[in-house]
Amino acid sequence: MIEISGLEKRFGEVVAVNGVTFSAPDGSVTGLLGPNGAGKTTTLRVLSGLMKADAGTVRVDGADVGADPVAAQALMGILPDSHGLYPRLTPREHIRYFGELHGMDRDSLNARTAHLISTLGLEHAADRRVEGFSHGERTKVALARALVHQPRNVILDEPTNGLDVMSTRAVRDLIRCLRLDGCCVLFSSHIMQEVSALCDSIVVIAHGRVVAHGAPDELRERTGRENLEDVFVSLVGLEEEPPQ
Amino acid sequence: MIASRLPVVLRKELLDGVRDRRSVASVVISALIGPLLVGFLFSQLAERQRVADEVKVPVVGAEFAPALVDWLKQQSGVSVVAGPARPEEAVRERKEDVVVIIARDFSSKFARSAPAGIKLVADATRDTARTKVRRVRQLLQRYSGEVSALRLIGRGISPAVAVPLRIEDVEVSSAQQRAAMIMAFVPMFLIMAAFVGGLQIATDSTAGERERASLEPLLLNPVSRWSVVAGKWLAASLFAGAGVVFSASLCMVVMQRVPLHDLGARFRLGAPELAAILALCVPVGFFSSSLQIFIATFAKSYKEAQSYLGLLMLLPTLPGVLAPIYPISGQPWLAPIPILGHYSLVTDLLGGKALPAHLLVISAVSTLCAAIVLVALTTRLFHKERIIFGR
Repeated sequence: MIEISGLEKRFGEVVAVNGVTFSAPDGSVTGLLGPNGAGKTTTLRVLSGLMKADAGTVRVDGADVGADPVAAQALMGILPDSHGLYPRLTPREHIRYFGELHGMDRDSLNARTAHLISTLGLEHAADRRVEGFSHGERTKVALARALVHQPRNVILDEPTNGLDVMSTRAVRDLIRCLRLDGCCVLFSSHIMQEVSALCDSIVVIAHGRVVAHGAPDELRERTGRENLEDVFVSLVGLEEEPPQ
Repeated sequence: MIASRLPVVLRKELLDGVRDRRSVASVVISALIGPLLVGFLFSQLAERQRVADEVKVPVVGAEFAPALVDWLKQQSGVSVVAGPARPEEAVRERKEDVVVIIARDFSSKFARSAPAGIKLVADATRDTARTKVRRVRQLLQRYSGEVSALRLIGRGISPAVAVPLRIEDVEVSSAQQRAAMIMAFVPMFLIMAAFVGGLQIATDSTAGERERASLEPLLLNPVSRWSVVAGKWLAASLFAGAGVVFSASLCMVVMQRVPLHDLGARFRLGAPELAAILALCVPVGFFSSSLQIFIATFAKSYKEAQSYLGLLMLLPTLPGVLAPIYPISGQPWLAPIPILGHYSLVTDLLGGKALPAHLLVISAVSTLCAAIVLVALTTRLFHKERIIFGR
């Protein structure tokens, strides 16, 4: 369960996030939708505990991220916007490193590593150095290490960005699995098709504010558009003046 | 709840470092340069000394003074060869270092107890020939002395009468000075080994981590920034320390093979000296790594970091440059200052001075404290958003 309320973040004169409030419940997939520069990544960075908010609170399963980021980080699995790997380590070593940083014991770490490698279809490459991996394989490794400690709250920043069809499918299947397991999944995207296929509810962000929040069908009704893309365009105000 | 995960970070950085050919190669190469150069310089010096001891004397007109030539041949390390046809040209053209010319009337004057003529052809501007010329001159003077003593005895006079002064040489030879100068390179090379040894890991685990965009995911783990930074620091320090140990041990091996006694050194280097040098210089690795990690964290890329750290590499050479102007040895108050203190103490140690244990402790403690301050400063940088996200 992720609760964000009244979140504000400024970079000098620029207001990147301006009073974002929404919550993402357990056992459901919440999509964070918005054009580039709307404040999605900044919101997720504050949520991850690496960026301090100027105002507002972020809670993960009741833990205040601003007050104790390290405790909150233990409850989250995060695939950030930039997810570089260590070229000289293998996927298995990447997963193990993060598992150890989470303080997992050896047996459960071994079991979990094997499970993640097979779920993401990385068996063929599990013990090869990641140097020279394709973009899809890299994303899978980054995803696996983010999920190693079986987090109840999963945050993915544009996880399918730049992936081919097969890799995108694997990531989507994983998100569905996480929902079935009762996790709270929050992911950002600007791909309509993906959001409509996966999300139980959608939070639309534009100009650092939440402009709409609801199930895909609710948003369709509200805007009177059938196509989700049209819904989005009308919500973020690309047709008319931005909503004040 | 969150125990320190420092060992996890340390283990990963060491594994990454060992797999990085550049970092392993830089440790090995930097550790080798010092001992190899010191060994080369010492063997050159010893070779030159040996050449001066074993002297070949070209003699022109040997037939005019058979007794002198026989006496020369009997001296140890001396052999007599026939001199060149044009002695002065041969010396000027550097074909010979020195030539002895015996005058035609040598034996007749010698028989009359008149001073018999001998020419010593040499070039005073030639530094390399100087020891050999001096040696030949000494030989001839000794022969002259022996003959004069015999002549006096023949006339019933004690030779001691003709020796109002007895001059005793106290050897402070140039060889010893040169040996001391070579020894002065040793602290510089050991400190360089520390700086180069940790360089790759220090850069790769900070600026490299930023460049690869792997820093943000790393810091998403529930681990204190201190554990992360300290783990990286210790990994770099272990590489730097390994470089120092490797380099110092090789230096010792080299110096034990060189006949230091012949070069005028007053003592032999052994295990106690090695232990003291390691106790002094291994902490340098912890200090240099902390400095490198701190500076490299400001850099957004590996390349940027290398340009900063290239400048930093001048630091270990600085005391060596200063030493001729400002005497750096025999100044125990320098002990708490990293690098400068190490330079001073190692120079003293190699000069045969016994170092009091408290100086070693002061040096190690202050160096490690400086390192910990730098690690704390780096930890503060790791909290800054512009470092975590700034690419």
